[in-house]
Amino acid sequence: MNGYGGKILRLNLTKKDVSEIETKRYEKWVGGHGMGSAIFWDLVKDKAISGFDPRNVITIMTSPLGGTIAPGAAARTEVQGIGVQSYPIEWFTRANFGGRFGAMLKYAGWDGIVIEGKADKPVWVDIRNENVQIKDAGRLWGLDTWQTQQKIWGEVMGAGQFGDWVPVGKADDARRTTQKPAVLTIGPAGEKLSRIGCLIHDAGNAAGQGGFGGVWGSKNLKAISVIGTGSIEIADPNALMESRLWAMKEYGYHVDHESGNRNPQVIFWESSHDARLQACIGCHAGCRSRTATGQGNESQCVETGFYAGFDRDKHGGKQTTAALIATDLLQKHGINAYEAWRGLEYLIELNKVGILGPGRQIDCDLPFDQVGEAEFAEKFLQMISRRGGIGDDFAEGFARAAKKWGRLEEDLKTGVLRYPYWGLPEHGYDPRAEVSWGYGSILGERDVNEHDFNFLFWDPSLDVWSGETPEPSAELITSIVAEKLAPYQGDPLMLDYSTENIYSEHMAKLVAWHRHYTRFWKQSALYCDYRWPNFVHPDIPDAPGLTGEGEPRFLNAVTGKRCSFLDGMELGRKIWNLDNAIWTLQGRHREMVHFADYIYGAPFEKTEESLYVRGKYYQTWGYYLPGRRDGEWDYICVNDRHLDKAKFEEFKTTYYKLEGWDPSTGWATRETLESLELAGVADTLAQNGKLGA
Amino acid sequence: MKRKIDRKISGGETGFSRREFLQRSEGVAIRTAAGGAFLKLIWLDNAVAAMPAAGGYLLVDTKKCQGCMTCMLACSLVHEGKENLSLARIQVVQNSFAKFPNDITLAQCRQCVEPACLKACPTDALHVDQEHGNVRIIDAEKCTGCMSCVEACPHAPGRAVWDFEDEHAQKCDLCADTPFWNERGGPGGKQACVELCPVAALKFTEEIPKQDGDEGYNINLRGDGWKNLGFPVGSGEPSKKELER
Ligand code: SF4
Ligand code: SF4
Repeated sequence: MNGYGGKILRLNLTKKDVSEIETKRYEKWVGGHGMGSAIFWDLVKDKAISGFDPRNVITIMTSPLGGTIAPGAAARTEVQGIGVQSYPIEWFTRANFGGRFGAMLKYAGWDGIVIEGKADKPVWVDIRNENVQIKDAGRLWGLDTWQTQQKIWGEVMGAGQFGDWVPVGKADDARRTTQKPAVLTIGPAGEKLSRIGCLIHDAGNAAGQGGFGGVWGSKNLKAISVIGTGSIEIADPNALMESRLWAMKEYGYHVDHESGNRNPQVIFWESSHDARLQACIGCHAGCRSRTATGQGNESQCVETGFYAGFDRDKHGGKQTTAALIATDLLQKHGINAYEAWRGLEYLIELNKVGILGPGRQIDCDLPFDQVGEAEFAEKFLQMISRRGGIGDDFAEGFARAAKKWGRLEEDLKTGVLRYPYWGLPEHGYDPRAEVSWGYGSILGERDVNEHDFNFLFWDPSLDVWSGETPEPSAELITSIVAEKLAPYQGDPLMLDYSTENIYSEHMAKLVAWHRHYTRFWKQSALYCDYRWPNFVHPDIPDAPGLTGEGEPRFLNAVTGKRCSFLDGMELGRKIWNLDNAIWTLQGRHREMVHFADYIYGAPFEKTEESLYVRGKYYQTWGYYLPGRRDGEWDYICVNDRHLDKAKFEEFKTTYYKLEGWDPSTGWATRETLESLELAGVADTLAQNGKLGA
Repeated sequence: MKRKIDRKISGGETGFSRREFLQRSEGVAIRTAAGGAFLKLIWLDNAVAAMPAAGGYLLVDTKKCQGCMTCMLACSLVHEGKENLSLARIQVVQNSFAKFPNDITLAQCRQCVEPACLKACPTDALHVDQEHGNVRIIDAEKCTGCMSCVEACPHAPGRAVWDFEDEHAQKCDLCADTPFWNERGGPGGKQACVELCPVAALKFTEEIPKQDGDEGYNINLRGDGWKNLGFPVGSGEPSKKELER
């Protein structure tokens, strides 16, 4: 099986049993999310259990592209299972991380890991090629994520020296490596069953959403370590080489070559100038750094943004080391950055109005005059991970905390608690503005965190904020992107974010395309969210990028199959339907698919703040997206609007019909499921009285 | 089981074996085909023999490297037709938690002027490949698997790599023999790792680098483009960021 190890590792923690599942059984799903959902469907008979139930199954899946030179695809690894973060229902959900873990797992011969049951005491899993052992983690319990990994490195490497060839397995094993084991671990937050605990790998790779850290904690699973020396067979090595060179030469898939030079970092703190660019395995454009102080190593995106603003506010607009220290602590404790960020914003607001603080109605001894200092971050994060004092509430996630404090309803009405969907924190791309992001999240189960169309906000907005006219024009950009949106290609109105268009069938098609594209190409074939899709050429702003041609080209070179872009889109639709069936069995109904009240009641206000992005400071002013005004395309400011609840209800009907789901329930019909070869799923839904009519 | 490789370049013979070379040269210095590289007299097999310097070298910039290991994956792909970090002839060793620049070591074969690995090889498997610019190369067919070269390389990690799948030693051939890539490699041709490195932290040169220490092999490849990205360009030169401060 080209591109595969051929077997999936099955761990039963209750029985301390290690077995295998043949990858072939799930090959039709290709990899990643598709395989994970299918395995979950088969193994978890009662899907309405809690994420903390030992019967919850966690899958950690790679793809055929894992560990290969397919650009921005070698590293991504998909984690699934019933999460514990969303509220009120703990949805079956997903998280995804990069680094080296997934690739190393494949070099060890495994396409994924399935975790069942619950160990009676703390364990870690030691994978060295085909040898897998469930070991006592008594000495690791309580350590932070960085300490845990380094302890495990030492143990796995034995007497070997870092930086030299070390045998994997017994001392006389001819199979050697210069690489350190890749370790995925929970921190103190996960051990304490925090619903906002993450899985952390290396310094800054996190499977952050869903609270899988807490789920591992409930299973008494501290860490999984893997070192592999095996080969991944490639169907057409020459085609794979030539494809990567093609992407480099024709589409700028690199950082420093003749054709162009762009800083690929995705960091929201002022970057250290004494640092290197740092990438996941196989990536053509690293998005983070390693620094001369070691502070902030490998963190990116929201992890870097979580405390930087508080730091600057405290220090007269200047960034100090507090932001970096806070982020490193976040990684070490293993805490979800969005919850920590939005949660802290929320606490500050409650403190300002006199509700929360020492001796107040909500008793909290955090020193709010110290927000922005490293010491404050340390105390705050420690409260979460140790559940000390009111930290016990924080550890449940801030939606549940607000509920316990009797504030959830009111604070979601005013938007003081910026948790627009499923009791989960908002990402920075407000559903009232970038509706495709919000719709995807509420029609799914989590903050989508899929940046596919997000450049349509960033590019024009950064131009406007720097006083420039956005280039290329909205009309040109939308026509280039629209051509890539097969099977709905050629409809630029899908990208019209004007208030008149956001409830239209065009927008429903965009949301459907986005759901299907990401479910397959990004979460199953596992192309990185940051580097894919590539709609527009990075060096030639009015030329198309390689999306459509690129995705299947690499996949086919690796597997030898003939999967077209549209085949992938169709498989994405199938996986989306399977996920929706799981949510249906968990209790999903269209009645509950609505945003928090503030999204319908409070306007999305313009904010002016200093934002560090793409290597410089901007003063933000307005959220710009392409749209039509009086029939003419432009970049329009989408602030000051809120969603219309009745129109959103109509939009749901339009969307459900487009998916072939029953608009009165949001459940899939037999016809739709059978057209996707999911008749068995239809049977199960029917047995549970949950098949769409 | 030894693997049979169809030589894609110049069909069949890979040039003189070391022994043949010594016999033919009989200790007389000859100019190499790669042109210009000087010759050095060294003791071999108890005889004074000429070993031509290689016609090409791989240089790295460890401060520019982004640690993506694409070079390793490219190397194993073009030589073995598979992805395998342990079979790559260039090794990137890194530590996620360490401080820049000491978090990464790039370990490439130095094509030494006086290769300890070649001296250690008891057969003529490890030889100077005249046909490919005198690159130091291992003929897998002739390798007995004694691992002498693997042990003899004085650098850590050793640059002669043990292929435990096919049971022979192998080392960087500057891509002279890449059965799975339809490009001409070796000195004068293309190197898979150099071609694919996304940040151009690898470079091929015909000039013989300073043999003592690392400075000849680990050089500064950070130009203006790198400076514009705000990363340190080294050699005391401040980056754009530093200038702005
Ligand atoms: S390909 Fe280049 S950047 Fe990546 S590890 Fe190799 S030398 Fe470093
Ligand atoms: S030049 Fe070729 S053989 Fe040498 S390390 Fe690079 S890819 Fe491998």
